[in-house]
Amino acid sequence: MNRAELAGAVRTQVALVVGVDEEEIEEGTDLREKYDIDSLELMEIGTRLEKVLGYRFQVEDFMHVRSVGDTIDLLQEQA
Amino acid sequence: MNRPRRRVAICGVGMKTAAGTETKEVMDALLEGRSSAAPVEEFVERDLAVTFACRVPDFDTSRYLSLRESRQMERSAVLAMAAALDAVGDVPLETVAAPERIGVAVGAGAGGLTATEELTGEYGSDPGQMPAFSVPRTMASGAAARLSLRLGARGSALTYATACASGTNAIGEAVQKIRHGELDVVVAGGVEASVSPMVVSGFARMRALSQRNDEPAAACRPFDVERDGFVMAEGAAFLVLEEWEHAQARGATVLGEVLGYGSNSDAFHIVAPREDGRSAADCIRLALDDAGLAPEDVGHINAHGTSTVHNDRAEARAITNVFGDSGPPVTASKGVLGHGLGAAGAMEAAVTALSAASGLVPPVANFGRADEDTAKLDIVAGTPRKIGKLPALSNSFGFGGHNATLVIAP
Repeated sequence: MNRAELAGAVRTQVALVVGVDEEEIEEGTDLREKYDIDSLELMEIGTRLEKVLGYRFQVEDFMHVRSVGDTIDLLQEQA
Repeated sequence: MNRPRRRVAICGVGMKTAAGTETKEVMDALLEGRSSAAPVEEFVERDLAVTFACRVPDFDTSRYLSLRESRQMERSAVLAMAAALDAVGDVPLETVAAPERIGVAVGAGAGGLTATEELTGEYGSDPGQMPAFSVPRTMASGAAARLSLRLGARGSALTYATACASGTNAIGEAVQKIRHGELDVVVAGGVEASVSPMVVSGFARMRALSQRNDEPAAACRPFDVERDGFVMAEGAAFLVLEEWEHAQARGATVLGEVLGYGSNSDAFHIVAPREDGRSAADCIRLALDDAGLAPEDVGHINAHGTSTVHNDRAEARAITNVFGDSGPPVTASKGVLGHGLGAAGAMEAAVTALSAASGLVPPVANFGRADEDTAKLDIVAGTPRKIGKLPALSNSFGFGGHNATLVIAP
């Protein structure tokens, strides 16, 4: 899966959890600043991505992501 | 030193039921005796033993919740939130009392059981893939927690599980907390999201449900000789309860007063009621004593009236035990609303308060002819009965022998 496809998957799951349109979410969007995302919501995004992509995250790593871009970086690192 | 007892006013009512999502709609359906039971497409397709139920029609949840919140909540929490916010209305609670003086009391028979059923279906064979929201979506106390969060209520937020008496117990226990001075305002009621294949089939397997699949609207017929079981319903109802002087001081609209509460147990059987209705009769007496009323002061009874053979017989005996053969008019809302399990008592408390305030008692839907036991009751049949503004009883008798009765005055 290339970076654009991963970005699409991440944006979809973030949009579902935060309850906004996908178009509103950009790669650089700071999820905590813009959406005040809490750790439970972050875990929900993580668990959804694991299901969709068939990955396994290290929880500690995922707790540090701030943006869609960070998430993609993490996915690529761990793939 | 005896201080005068604190009184409890009802300052708001909200309902989400199959018969309507606004209070007036619900009361109109009840006064017309119009059943809200209908086939459930999924149950028909899957050829379940019972293929109908009372489901809350779609309503605009965005009036109550952001998309983000509603995705984190299962159906019972959504229904509870909507009904509770309707009850609270336009006056924000934080302007009414200090946050630590405001509480929440929720009756729920099954809690997030239908959400658990969905999760089990999807992830049962691979629990490692479960969403992170699984626990907050399914915990039994979820609805109460959501309400306290939204309302900023920092007093106790409790969940009562006494099967079909849950909603009545939640209201009664909230009344006690206000009387004892622990709280000044409680948003109290009940909720159930019980229209799912497994919950309905579970009750069908024990033959508790009516099997009238061809005539859903005629299926729930409390106290009628041809009754054959209850009809599953979902929904929520909430009251805003407030200490009387506190409500008067802020000029709140008072819809009624909770005068009395009784609660006891059959200690008899895990699902069947005591045949003679003795504990249920004791429960009614406890509530009347608590209210300081005699049986002849009661204007009408909103019966538990599930439309099962056993409940209605035991309840008829209990009522006759307390009131003799010339008791007050009896209605039963389940003929229209179905049986909302943990929500039922709260729905019926709301209906009882509104009926007492209007002096007009709705008929028992589908009631045609009594049997030997129910013939001793003065069943309101066909059309509403005008009785004047008088105190009324609302009974709830749950599986497991949980009995609860409220006395509500206009």
